[in-house]
Formats: sequence, C-alpha cells, structure tokens
Amino acid sequence: MSGEEEEMLLSSNGDEFLKAKCLMNCEVALILEHKYEQLQQMSDDPMNQVSQVFEKSLQYVKRFSRYKNPDAVRQVREILSRYQLAEFELCVLGNLCPETVEEAIAMVPSIKTKGRAHDDEAIEKMLNDLSLIKKFE
Amino acid sequence: MFFHIVLERNMQLHPRYFGRNLRENLVSKLMKDVEGTCRGLFVIQVSLCVLWANIEPLLLLENRSTWFVVAITGIENIGKGLIRDGTGFVTFPVKYQCVVFRPFKGEILEAVVTMVNKMGFFAEAGPVQIFVSNHLIPDDMEFQSGDMPSYTTSDGSVKIQKDSEVRLKIIGTRVDATEIVCA
Repeated sequence: MSGEEEEMLLSSNGDEFLKAKCLMNCEVALILEHKYEQLQQMSDDPMNQVSQVFEKSLQYVKRFSRYKNPDAVRQVREILSRYQLAEFELCVLGNLCPETVEEAIAMVPSIKTKGRAHDDEAIEKMLNDLSLIKKFE
Repeated sequence: MFFHIVLERNMQLHPRYFGRNLRENLVSKLMKDVEGTCRGLFVIQVSLCVLWANIEPLLLLENRSTWFVVAITGIENIGKGLIRDGTGFVTFPVKYQCVVFRPFKGEILEAVVTMVNKMGFFAEAGPVQIFVSNHLIPDDMEFQSGDMPSYTTSDGSVKIQKDSEVRLKIIGTRVDATEIVCA
C-alpha cells in the first residue's frame, strides 16, 4: 500500500535525539522480554511472529546487560540521574560500566567539558555507587 | 544506542477490517508494517577504542536521522479516520511509542564479531552489521588465517575471532542504498 507517510514528532536533523529518552541495554532487555512473554501467551510460536530485528536486538541486549534484576536496573537509572548527565551520557555509562575515572572520561568525554560540575571525585563516587549495585544484585 | 520515542504514521485500513475489532486490526497492521523496519540507511565507520591507541576521527559525512524500529511499546493516540476519495479505504493517524536503535557518531558500543578475514572483521550490534577495516585495527595485531581466522597481538594476549566481544567507537556515518552496514 503506497501513500503512507511517517513523520517524526521530534525534528529530523538528528540532534533532537540527543535530548530524547535513551534506554540502557538492561532496560531494553526488560521491555523486549516482557513483549516476548506477551506474544508467547497469545500464540504457540512467538518466534515466527517477531522480526529478525527484534530477535537480534533481544539477543544483543541480553548478552550485554550488566544488570539483570529489574530493581537493580531501576537503581542504576536513579543513581545516574542524580549526577546531571545528559540521557546519552547516562546510558553509555550504564551500558559500559567503566571502573576508573579515566575510563569513564574516555568513554564519555563530554562529562569533562568546561563549565560542567563533574570533577574527578564526583565521577569516582558515581562509579563506586554503580559497582555497589552490581555487587549486591 | 536504543531510544524510546514517539512516532506518527498514517495507516490505511480496508473496510473489511471495520467493526468491533477496528482498533485491534489497526494496531496489528501497524506492528506488521513498522516493527523490524529501518528508516533510512547508513554506513558507519568505527575504530577500535579505549584499550588501544588513539585513532583520529574521520570527518562526519552526513548525519540524517535513521533508525531501526525494534518494538512498539504502546499506542498513544489514534485520530479520526478520513475516507480516501475513490477507494473507500480510511486513513487513521496513529501516534505510537517504540524502541528504536540508532547508532551515533562518537558513540562507544559493544559488539560481537561474526566473521574475520584479511580485509578486517564483521561484527553485529543488535540489528546493525558493522565492518572494521584492517586499516583501523591497531598495528600490533596481525591477521592469522586458519580454521579460526583471527587478529592476534604479537604476544598472543589479545585475540579477535568469531564470537569475541569487542568495543567499538563510531567515527562517522554515511548513507548507503541497500542495507544497514556500519564500518
């Protein structure tokens, strides 16, 4: 069927994505697993119904999720939200879980740009809080 | 990186689907049409990062908004239907929330190696295929052919082969005509 148009509600130059809601791999894993279970309830063969994109994404996020427990996932987002990070920065840190301040700055150089309130101590505290969640997951 | 965004689409529905199940029919058609699709196509250049030497980022060639729709998570609103002249089909504007995957220049992400050859290696990150050319692989890693081709450091401590997990930095994007491949 032709004539169907799609418009993004955010502008389409790509920059708006930087302000959009980012999802960490662990959050996406919860969403996709939930959807997969819903499909399982509705039919016998859910694998047939989902697209290859869905399958590959599900496999990917399950493999690369640092946190499996939904409460832990929520805590991670909550902790990272306290540090005035952009959505994008929050998710990269949550996905890659750097262990040192140098690693974190290498992954997300923008946290160290001038004028932002992130000194090394604050970053180190943030990384410590994250690793605590992992220990007690 | 995955995002949660709201998109809008005009869905056309044949009158045979009207009736009590109109909304369900609309939603399932939406899912069939949209899930798993990719809007726009792009080629991305990446470099291995973090553990190894700095690699100068290439110029950004183009930055169109392109993404893969992974899954629809909810319907926000279905507007009033408009009957199209001459056909009897009705067009409904549907606003829906979905999870999309869109790689970004400068983003660092993890991927799984799928194939290694002397030109470089292929990796996959979710729905996206990535190619890393051997020019962007650190000089101290050499290609080893054999049953399990790999890139190995001279002391054998680091090996990149099929199913290895690697971290990549995206350094540029380009639009391609046929499929989504990152490099």
